[in-house]
Amino acid sequence: MRDVDYLRPETVAEASALLAELGEGGRLIAGGTALLLALRQRMVAPTHLVSLARVGGLRGITYDPRDGLRIGALTTHSALARSAVVRAHYPVLADMAGRLADPQVRNQGTLGGNLCYADPTTDPPTCLAALDARLVLGSARGDRSLPVTEFLVDYFTTALHPDEILTGIRLPPPRFDLGHHARFHRTAAEHRPLINLTLLARRDGDTVAEARLVVGATTVVPTRVAAAEAFLAGRAVTAAVAREAADIVADAVEPLSDLRGTAAFRRDMLRVMARRSIERLMPPGMEGREVA
Amino acid sequence: MSRIPIEVIVNGVAQRAEVPARRLLADFLRDDLFLTGTKRGCETGVCGACSVLLDGEVVKSCLSLAVQADGHEVTTVEGLAAGEDLHPLQEAFAEHGGFQCGYCTPGMLMAAIAILHETPSPTEAEVRAGLSGNLCRCTGYVGIVESIMAAAEKMRGT
Ligand SMILES: Cc1cc2nc3c(=O)[nH]c(=O)nc-3n(C[C@H](O)[C@H](O)[C@H](O)COP(=O)(O)OP(=O)(O)OC[C@H]3O[C@@H](n4cnc5c(N)ncnc54)[C@H](O)[C@@H]3O)c2cc1C
Ligand code: FES
Ligand code: FES
Repeated sequence: MRDVDYLRPETVAEASALLAELGEGGRLIAGGTALLLALRQRMVAPTHLVSLARVGGLRGITYDPRDGLRIGALTTHSALARSAVVRAHYPVLADMAGRLADPQVRNQGTLGGNLCYADPTTDPPTCLAALDARLVLGSARGDRSLPVTEFLVDYFTTALHPDEILTGIRLPPPRFDLGHHARFHRTAAEHRPLINLTLLARRDGDTVAEARLVVGATTVVPTRVAAAEAFLAGRAVTAAVAREAADIVADAVEPLSDLRGTAAFRRDMLRVMARRSIERLMPPGMEGREVA
Repeated sequence: MSRIPIEVIVNGVAQRAEVPARRLLADFLRDDLFLTGTKRGCETGVCGACSVLLDGEVVKSCLSLAVQADGHEVTTVEGLAAGEDLHPLQEAFAEHGGFQCGYCTPGMLMAAIAILHETPSPTEAEVRAGLSGNLCRCTGYVGIVESIMAAAEKMRGT
């Protein structure tokens, strides 16, 4: 790793001014779990690290029934998983955060760092896209907010301007009463998911009133499958319905193809995951049940 | 080269140092403080041999800079035993075949401390999930899991 300077601003405006001044040479550091790997592989070579550790207002989780959830960008995955309000109102998010990576990375890595790094093979983007998250970006010029689906642009590319900092993540009040985030790994020793899928549903008796289905990790940015959502709406889940919906998902997504998995393999696994997720959420022929 | 003054409490002792910003926490512990119990394995965040506790939570010290620990408390494997008296978890590893070559052991012990802190009576599945950030190339994990289950019992005093 090259020699580097370390700066510790205390406000978003100060951090933003430093980023503006340093240009390509400046890099924010939150938990450091993604950045240190990139530095060591010399994928990035900043002259200055700008630490977010002392910047005020980037921590904490608050919930309001009208406004929904606010999560500070420096919230670690394990803090998100443990949060009582997240577990009560967005169990699918807490469950996802408690299973990604491993205990150490969950304690060190932040939700903000995960989103800003924009590594496609991660979990929060998929889950947050399903939950209609908006991200708040701050700078010395003021704040703006945009949906997570507009924030994530491409491989390791976001809509952040060079002087902007992700300050928080906001979720509207929950609309769905069932949810599950599924992850597929080719081997048990792999951490990063090959494919993931978040399914949310609102139930009306035995039928699905409304569904939300987003596929990630196997596409460059999370992909919402509206055709499957429309197919599920108004239907009771039977084995045949789950199979047909899974076929729609598998056909709608254009999977990546690389050393970790060919497109054909990923499509087959996605089909299985989609079917299992639907059956898990609303077991065919039974009343739907709460799944964390 | 800029050197940053830091103050870190390591195993209960306040340590002041000036470190280059790029110094990894793992290297600070091993090369500056000579606490070589903490191992460098993959140095890419995968093997867990470098695991230590930061303010009581298990972290990988190869994924963290020494400057990030400024103002915080670090516990390494050297902080477990009380003088010559091994920690009950260390005793359990010795009694139940929790290691062979021993390279993964310091990291396993720190991960295990974190498991038992959060879940004093863990199930075997909880132990395995808690070790998912640590690799062992020798034991096949059975002895490690048994050691942690035995230590849990001992530490609960049952
Ligand atoms: C071994 C391992 C396994 C993993 N497995 C998984 C997994 O299974 N699922 C999963 O989802 N993820 C996984 N990850 C990724 C993990 O989620 C991220 O590494 C972590 O969340 C990044 O957060 P951080 O705070 O460490 O970011 P940092 O490394 O500090 O920063 C990452 C990038 O984001 C920028 N940045 C950080 N914070 C901000 C901000 N607030 N505003 C603007 N820019 C910012 C930094 O400049 C940097 O470019 C894994 C990582 C490792 C090392
Ligand atoms: S050396 Fe840190 S995880 Fe392998
Ligand atoms: S005992 Fe050799 S790696 Fe675990």
